[in-house]
Amino acid sequence: MKSLSKKLPPLLLAFLLPLTSLTPSGCTEKDTEVALLKNDCLKRSVGPNVVGLDIEFAYAMATPYGAGRIVSACVEADIAGAPQTWLEHRYYHTDRETGADVGMTVGNPSVNDGNRTTVEFTVDTCAATLRYYYRIPEEARGKSVTFTFSATSSAGETVSMKMGPYAISKMDIKKNISARSAARFLSIEDMAVYSAADAAKIPEKIDLVYLRPDGSSPYYDLIGPAFVSPAADPQYRPGVTLPAGANNDTKIRKEYGVHDRHLATLDGPNAVSSGVFIDDVDFETIKLDDMPDYALGLRQYSCLWVETHDGRYRAFIYVSALNGEGVSSCTIHIKRLKIK
Amino acid sequence: MSTFSKKISRLSLLSLLSLMSLLSLLSLITHGCSGSYPIDEDGLLVTDRAECYVSNFELLGTDHLTVRVEGELPAIDTAAGTISIKAKFGTDLKHLYPQFSLVTDAKLEPKITGLTDFSDLERPRQYTVISGNRKVRKTYTIYVEVEHL
Repeated sequence: MKSLSKKLPPLLLAFLLPLTSLTPSGCTEKDTEVALLKNDCLKRSVGPNVVGLDIEFAYAMATPYGAGRIVSACVEADIAGAPQTWLEHRYYHTDRETGADVGMTVGNPSVNDGNRTTVEFTVDTCAATLRYYYRIPEEARGKSVTFTFSATSSAGETVSMKMGPYAISKMDIKKNISARSAARFLSIEDMAVYSAADAAKIPEKIDLVYLRPDGSSPYYDLIGPAFVSPAADPQYRPGVTLPAGANNDTKIRKEYGVHDRHLATLDGPNAVSSGVFIDDVDFETIKLDDMPDYALGLRQYSCLWVETHDGRYRAFIYVSALNGEGVSSCTIHIKRLKIK
Repeated sequence: MSTFSKKISRLSLLSLLSLMSLLSLLSLITHGCSGSYPIDEDGLLVTDRAECYVSNFELLGTDHLTVRVEGELPAIDTAAGTISIKAKFGTDLKHLYPQFSLVTDAKLEPKITGLTDFSDLERPRQYTVISGNRKVRKTYTIYVEVEHL
């Protein structure tokens, strides 16, 4: 040892000596038993987790060939998902020629039992990746959710892993609202448009009025498609008679091209691919109190940040379509957060 | 060559390399700050250009789209130092982004840092263009007119 210490630099010895002392005591007989069944998981969905939408995962499990087969997979959420929650009983691979996902059935359709969603395997397989869709329930609003994924093999082994916690947004989403001359009175609280007759029953709930002056009107070019608050200067809503008692002074900030992925991902020609998400924090931090109470000259993909007169709600309105020249109709999608 | 001589020659080589590095660094410092193109207080290059004017002007709303009435270009009078622009009916003058195009190397004062209030029509906003050589200053007054019914 003395001759060795002369040859090796003392610094190297300082590292080696503790290692040699660890070796006999660090490896016990129990540690050498390596679990054969392995698992891994990744979260596929991105953006805020909103009630009514899915959180999506891909859960992979495998055991070596000849070491048994997988018999079941299970996901347990600490807040039970909505009934639409499910775990795939197929795994997918990409078809080499078409690029399409091809599903291979490995078990029975999943069964929800309280917080647990389970798939029992019916084929002899030692590996699979199953997708899990957790439909966010109302009970989870404003809370966080944690998931435990687990798999069991025929050899009696069980593996599991935790995912989360994931914060659940407090916001609401309502898509495909058609505002038109026959139903132009918009309530942010209800996230709905009303006809004049229906609006007359709830004038205190009317936050915005949609209008689109007729092509023959002198206001056609000046105002264009517009959302105007009931309390706005009447010059901004020519030809519109408000329901008696409608006098909310809603604040509006115009934006353009903020293609929120939840709102802009639509079926049909107006769909826009986007990686932008409006989240709770955006509603909580935006300052709208000194904004005007009207928004004129809207176009397709215009967006509006809105704060209701009583300050209870802030909303983000995305205009996906204005239906034709002179046609008084537009399609909007709303995200809304209750502030107080 | 003896071991001692080898060590001495290696040492000399190292010293020579160090000296050369130092000289290069010194040369960079002395030539790098020659003063031909000085930097101003904003870290912008001061050049020889004496031109000083606004070549284009826009007013953008919170949606970053122009609020200017379509087809009516802003009237930029460099001699008088005025820019007149007609905004669309209903334009919210309190929340606008002014957008200037300046001659090469010029800069603007005050800087535009966000939404700007143009609603006080009695006291229109003023911006000063400063030439590339930072010796010529030209102040422009912005007159905004809103389209009426």
